Amino acid sequence: MTEKYLEKFTTTAKRVGAVVLQLDSLQDAANYISSTTQGLTLVPETPLARRHSLRSLLQDAGVDVFDGNFREAGHFPAGGVTFCNFCMADSGTVVLESTDEDIRLATTLPEVHFIIVDPAKILVDNLAAVAPMTTMHEGSDPLFVAYITGPSRTADVERVLTIGCHGPRELHILLVNNISNDLMEN
Amino acid sequence: MSSSNDYKKTVDAAIANPKLSKALHLFGDSYLIARENAYKGLDFEEMRNELSDMKDEVRINRKQLLAEFVKNAEAAGSTVFLAKDTKEANDYVIRLAKDKGATLIAKSKSMVSEEAHFNKAVAAHGIRAAETDLGEWIVQLAGQRPSHMVMPAIHMFKEEVAELFSKESGEPISPEINTLVNHARTRLRKEYFDADIGLTGANFLVANTGGIGLVTNEGNARLCATLPKVHVVFASIHKLVRNMEDAIKITRLLPRNATGQLLTSYVTWIKGCVPTDGEQKEQHIILIDGGREALYESKTCQDALKCIQCGACANVCPVFQTVGGHVFGSIYISAIGVILTAFYEGLDKAKDITRACIGCRSCVAVCPSKIDLEEIILHLKSEVTKEYGMGVIKNVAFKAIMKNRGLFHSMVRAASKLQLPVTHKNRVPGQQRIIRHLPLHFMEKDFTEWRDLPAIAAKSFRDQFDNIPQTLFNPDYRVGFFVGCGGDFVYPEVGVALIKVLNSLNVEVVFPKGQSCCGIPALYSGDTATGIDLAKQSVEALSEEDLDYILCICPTCTMGVKRDFVDRLADHPQWAAKARALAEKTMDASAFLENILGASNKLDCVAPGESVTYHDSCHLKRGSDVWKEPRALLNSIGHEVVEMKNSDRCCGFGGTYSFLGQPQISKQITADKVDTIKTTGVKTVAMDCPGCMIMLKGAVGKADDSIRCVHTIELLAEAIDKKKKQN
Repeated sequence: MTEKYLEKFTTTAKRVGAVVLQLDSLQDAANYISSTTQGLTLVPETPLARRHSLRSLLQDAGVDVFDGNFREAGHFPAGGVTFCNFCMADSGTVVLESTDEDIRLATTLPEVHFIIVDPAKILVDNLAAVAPMTTMHEGSDPLFVAYITGPSRTADVERVLTIGCHGPRELHILLVNNISNDLMEN
Repeated sequence: MSSSNDYKKTVDAAIANPKLSKALHLFGDSYLIARENAYKGLDFEEMRNELSDMKDEVRINRKQLLAEFVKNAEAAGSTVFLAKDTKEANDYVIRLAKDKGATLIAKSKSMVSEEAHFNKAVAAHGIRAAETDLGEWIVQLAGQRPSHMVMPAIHMFKEEVAELFSKESGEPISPEINTLVNHARTRLRKEYFDADIGLTGANFLVANTGGIGLVTNEGNARLCATLPKVHVVFASIHKLVRNMEDAIKITRLLPRNATGQLLTSYVTWIKGCVPTDGEQKEQHIILIDGGREALYESKTCQDALKCIQCGACANVCPVFQTVGGHVFGSIYISAIGVILTAFYEGLDKAKDITRACIGCRSCVAVCPSKIDLEEIILHLKSEVTKEYGMGVIKNVAFKAIMKNRGLFHSMVRAASKLQLPVTHKNRVPGQQRIIRHLPLHFMEKDFTEWRDLPAIAAKSFRDQFDNIPQTLFNPDYRVGFFVGCGGDFVYPEVGVALIKVLNSLNVEVVFPKGQSCCGIPALYSGDTATGIDLAKQSVEALSEEDLDYILCICPTCTMGVKRDFVDRLADHPQWAAKARALAEKTMDASAFLENILGASNKLDCVAPGESVTYHDSCHLKRGSDVWKEPRALLNSIGHEVVEMKNSDRCCGFGGTYSFLGQPQISKQITADKVDTIKTTGVKTVAMDCPGCMIMLKGAVGKADDSIRCVHTIELLAEAIDKKKKQN
């Protein structure tokens, strides 16, 4: 994995309406999230979140991290914060294995979804995703994988592109180095 | 259910309300730009060939792939039910809902659920199906059906949506798009939380994983698949793909072709019973045949199941743009809708929309699965005609007259004399006489109300040919000329011009007199028997002498020889090889001039730098891939080609379509073309098709008689004449 697709990824993701920021550390990411969102924030406990103590980092930065059953955080929690498995530069897509229901709730319900991406995880295009996607699907364990490209959108009224239909209104992609280069973990 | 009279009324109503048509035109234009941008750097032809091959594999191995899918899905905890029809599928969900005591189903988009009239079926059992896709919800509130596969409510305007939302919520909601979307967001969020069952469709059923794939933008499918504790997948069997790789490759085509997006906001892959609220989700996958197995077995129509439901065939269809999907379609709309309606709902339901296809092949050019929609519809037209007849006029014209070449040609000769009382001098001096009003009171509408019709030429090309001197001593080529009816009886001057141009390049023209009509008018009207007869007559005549090439000045005739003669005679052993050999050496005149002779470097004549705009004929561009050639030729003689908007959009002619079939739709399509021509400000429109000439000379003539419509070959001949005069 290299960072050579970073530029392409940044351009395409911005083109579909994502906010893309390069940050120096997870601490900076936590500060950014804290300054951008107010209200209940869903932060699922994933292997990477645990390893990087994401929840406490966010709490310390002043984020209102929701404690409890995510289904009880209301219909429209303010934010959701996750890592990702990998990205695809050609379409500006973030891929997130979301079998754990908390990941799904944290990425579908909130107004804003913050996703922390290690540039080492950016693949050239969606054909390059065939291999990791095939690996993920091996065996017969239940699986839920989400490709996310920009915020939720619709053009169903008079064909006018409108952002924020049923999913998050905003997608913030925070690029931070040295998180993980393992495409199988998030 | 729907009679042809009802159908005509819906056409008239659609045409009387141009607001929708205008919106669909705007959408069609912006779609083309977005799509082109989305494919930048990619090879669409290569991608669609691959997809088409993939889908062939699926068809051939569908039984094994289906079994593999079921085995893998069950291993991941899914319950799979194979429903032979939509009723079985509905009944399964109703039983499931009753078992669970479920009263609310949150539903994301599933076209097969439209086919099943699912919402109505479950409502009869006290179960409410809540549509959550914005467009589907709007359509549900309006009590309508979707008028487009990707954008179900494309036919509605924001004011109408606001009215529906206000009525449903009991509070006034202003007709601003953002407000409307926000209202849906808030209002429908409750449904996901309250629903006992979430129902989604599936864009892919991945055989080697047992998982499904969902391609969406709004995010409602993800919520439907997440919040309710039971997930029902309502999918049709032709969504099968072999593996993840194939599915991912389709995700590269589907959004690009549907909306010009590189990827939709969400692509969601779900396998088995994922965790939900501390337990395992219950997932039921209902795989619906609903007529697909029969369609797979139909040799002539099976390719329709290669469809990935991108809706592009509607986006580019001039008929859809004119009347909308509620008229030109049923559950499925536009070109693919014609075919699926015939198979899923019956030929009776499909007969009017089958005839409404103008045959312009714009859908074929954009189809990501490379389905030859037009050819399949042609087969259906023949089925419709077998079943319901084609009407008295066509019966007499095709069966009694055109089949008999001698009778046909002597009748045309007689008609050229008999028509004199109704013809008038052309408004343009020196141009052929025209018919401004026809005394045909038995016709529903006056043909000439909105366009002039050309008179039949005083002397047909076949009657002039022998008197045209050709003095070439050692020609480089001897070519046969397949003149076509338009070139023979309406515009014989084009053939005369062709001889002049070819002679100047040392090519001799032979005219085999036994040739007849190419038969496409009969085929397009569904009269296969006459089509076969006419094919035999012309194959015989054009094969008599050993000629280097056969040239046409009408691209429909070229397609007739290259595609239809070969197809129609494939099962006639004594004809098949002859037809294939003929097809090999047949081409349009401008393709021969440019690609074989390299005429743009040889025509030693320069016109005085006139501006010309070029209209691409449907069958020339999309039937023979010829469009660079005439432009190169026009440039080479000093014309500047000024491009009109959508130069390859149909002119509205479509042969008998504009006279007997759908004159009202035709009229609208022609009006669009006339507008784009006038917008260029150019006074000469070149084209390579006598059919387009009939349509455009007539309609442009009525709109602005300072604009001249002319065959490219005529402009070449004029340039040669000018050069001669100068010398």
